[in-house]
Amino acid sequence: MISQIGSLALNIASGLILSTFFFLFYYRFTKNKIFIDLSERAIIATCLSIILSTICLLNELLISNFNLQYVAQYTSYETPMFFKVTSLWAGQAGSLLFWSFIMSIYSLIYILSTLKRIKELKYASYLILAFIFGFFLALSNFIANPFEPVSLDIIVQNGNGLNPLLQNVTMAIHPPILYLGFVGTTIIFVMTLSALIANEINHKWISSIRSWALIIWTFLSAGIILGGYWAYNELGWGGYWAWDPVENSSLMPWLMLTAFIHSSIIQEKRGMLKTWNVLLASSTYLFVILGTFITRSGIISSVHSFTAESLGPLFFTFLLSLILLTGFWFFKRYHLLKSRDKIESFTSREGGFLYNNLILLIMCFIILWGTLFPIISEAWDGNKIYIGASYFNQLNVPIGIVLLFLMGIGPLLSWKNTSSSTLISNFSIPMILSFISGLLYMIFTDEFKIYPFITSMGIVFTLTSIIGELQKSFKSSYNNNNSLSKAILQLLSKNRHKNGGYIVHIGITLLFVGFVGRAFEVEKEFVLSPGKTIYFANHEFRLNNVTSEERDNHYAFISDMDVLDANNDNAYITTLYPEKRIYFHRNPDPDKRQPHSELDIYRTMSKDIYSIFSSYDPQKNEAYFKIMINPLVNWVWIGGIVIIFGALFAFWPSSRRDHGTV
Amino acid sequence: MNKIYTSLILVFALAVLWTIYLTNIKEDKNITTRYYTIKELILEDQSLPNVKVGGLVKPNSINISESNRLEVWFYVYQGQDSLKVYYNGTRPDLFKDDAEVVVAGTFDNNLIVATELQTKCASRYEGDLKNINTI
Repeated sequence: MISQIGSLALNIASGLILSTFFFLFYYRFTKNKIFIDLSERAIIATCLSIILSTICLLNELLISNFNLQYVAQYTSYETPMFFKVTSLWAGQAGSLLFWSFIMSIYSLIYILSTLKRIKELKYASYLILAFIFGFFLALSNFIANPFEPVSLDIIVQNGNGLNPLLQNVTMAIHPPILYLGFVGTTIIFVMTLSALIANEINHKWISSIRSWALIIWTFLSAGIILGGYWAYNELGWGGYWAWDPVENSSLMPWLMLTAFIHSSIIQEKRGMLKTWNVLLASSTYLFVILGTFITRSGIISSVHSFTAESLGPLFFTFLLSLILLTGFWFFKRYHLLKSRDKIESFTSREGGFLYNNLILLIMCFIILWGTLFPIISEAWDGNKIYIGASYFNQLNVPIGIVLLFLMGIGPLLSWKNTSSSTLISNFSIPMILSFISGLLYMIFTDEFKIYPFITSMGIVFTLTSIIGELQKSFKSSYNNNNSLSKAILQLLSKNRHKNGGYIVHIGITLLFVGFVGRAFEVEKEFVLSPGKTIYFANHEFRLNNVTSEERDNHYAFISDMDVLDANNDNAYITTLYPEKRIYFHRNPDPDKRQPHSELDIYRTMSKDIYSIFSSYDPQKNEAYFKIMINPLVNWVWIGGIVIIFGALFAFWPSSRRDHGTV
Repeated sequence: MNKIYTSLILVFALAVLWTIYLTNIKEDKNITTRYYTIKELILEDQSLPNVKVGGLVKPNSINISESNRLEVWFYVYQGQDSLKVYYNGTRPDLFKDDAEVVVAGTFDNNLIVATELQTKCASRYEGDLKNINTI
């Protein structure tokens, strides 16, 4: 019964979208405002229907209604309640509905808050929203319907159950947060294109879209970092980023959105770069759809992609129509957007933002080119050629280092032009400290590597520059108030965009600390019998024993391995317990049993000792391990937390202060 | 066009050209790997230093060494064509009969010595439904 309601709600939503087009068409010819109100209500009703439909699917997942194909494919009676909820986005049909669900929530906020303030955008916004909703509803209704019943000749006794890799708390929160970021760019796109059509790229537009962009950027960043965290803790290859097409697809919109957030400051302060901002804002969503096309078409072989039901051609057509639509209106309005002001000085704050944009765009191009290269090369001469991770590293590492220095240089530049005396006085302290750190690096590391050397100088340069800026604004408010508590309070409440931005930059600098560690990673694979030890990278590893144990939903071999410090008289450091697990171990069909390596990681601020139990030979009582020593990895997660904190700090109060701008 | 925009565009153009140039150095195996079909490799009589092949693991072909359980021989197949693969290292958890794999390494004498063995990530888990009659 509930599933029929959900299915019906999806149908009704499609009908409502059709009626929206009808109302907007009438408005176009009669100019009667009532049709705008009608289309607004139709879209609101669409959103509510989609939300209802999602709740229905959730209900079916929770009560294990295996008459629905989706429920039977992704859950079983044994699946814990929590993971029954997360299986809502574990498969194609469910994740598409979940996408529309998030889009509905965003759209409701957009319609009921932003459009109430900027009424001029209503007509075009509804038109574009209806187009996008129409596409996703068509997919959910006709191509990948989550309410599809199982075929009549099959009686499902129990469902397949959720993949053990996905039965993990990080994996449960990573997709929805990433989706909040991805889908959020829809609003940025709708807002940009509708402002372009209505010719309303003005101050009201930029300040409102900036608030949206900051919130969506926060979700996108958090989603990407959580994805890396999950990969590092679950997948067992010891890294958090592999330049896989799917990862790249999430990084490209992030780069565009980051570029937009910076260049929009110039428009907010000086009314310039309108054309550029329009391009950046709309391309963010285009990159999201491109990424969806890449991941859902299987056109590029990725360890993530799934080719079972290809939605590739549909997403490609959708992407193409969005590009044409944007391109058409961009050229139609181009002459109205040009600004008379010019950025003249290379050493100005505006210049700094432009360099930032340049770097981010180059990175985006490198990633786009590398990701699409198999398609490009096949089209060129028929050879499908894949690009390895070293391509991305070779190009992005030096560019990333330039970006790192730029984060320190930017705040030291003044608007319009920076005099050379200011330049010298602003740059002297960060420069001196940076050189000292370079010297210390040379003295204290036994192995000289050029990139880590420059990066550590960059980290010190940027940190001192940003902290210096924060200190300056603190001093000025302290001088005004002569009270420490008031000064801190003022620092926290005034200029939140700027200070929050600085905190984000500190977080990104900390990420670079973690990236430096990647240059010094070492790994070894070896075999041990209980009681034996092996030496590797200044550590002794001693296997005490291997035990086995049957648990609720799996069978586990548990190793018990001491780690000793070989540099320090074999002092005890820790004991690692990596496991080899067999999920679905009661299944009579051995093919359905699922081995899974549960890692164990010893974490410190200076390094992680990362252990994987690769294989076990019970006859010989021999255990195979892979051990990695990963320096400084924890700084990546710390940097991530600082970034999210800074971003929240930047937009939280401003959205409360002038509530209507969001 | 003023100076600053012109120089920015110039730098961007240079970066684009450099990127394109780098991906066209086909000899550098760290950067580019050619994707072959198994049929293409079977017909190949010279050794190739840098190949990438995708396919399924042939059922019952997985042969794990007695002396070193990290060493494995197996056949990867696409339709009728299959090719022997050797790999020494930690195998992914999802590696088993009929698993979808991507191997990269050197090709010589109808054997791929793989330096990289990946299984398709099960971030989507679309298995067949179990029929009550078959259990």
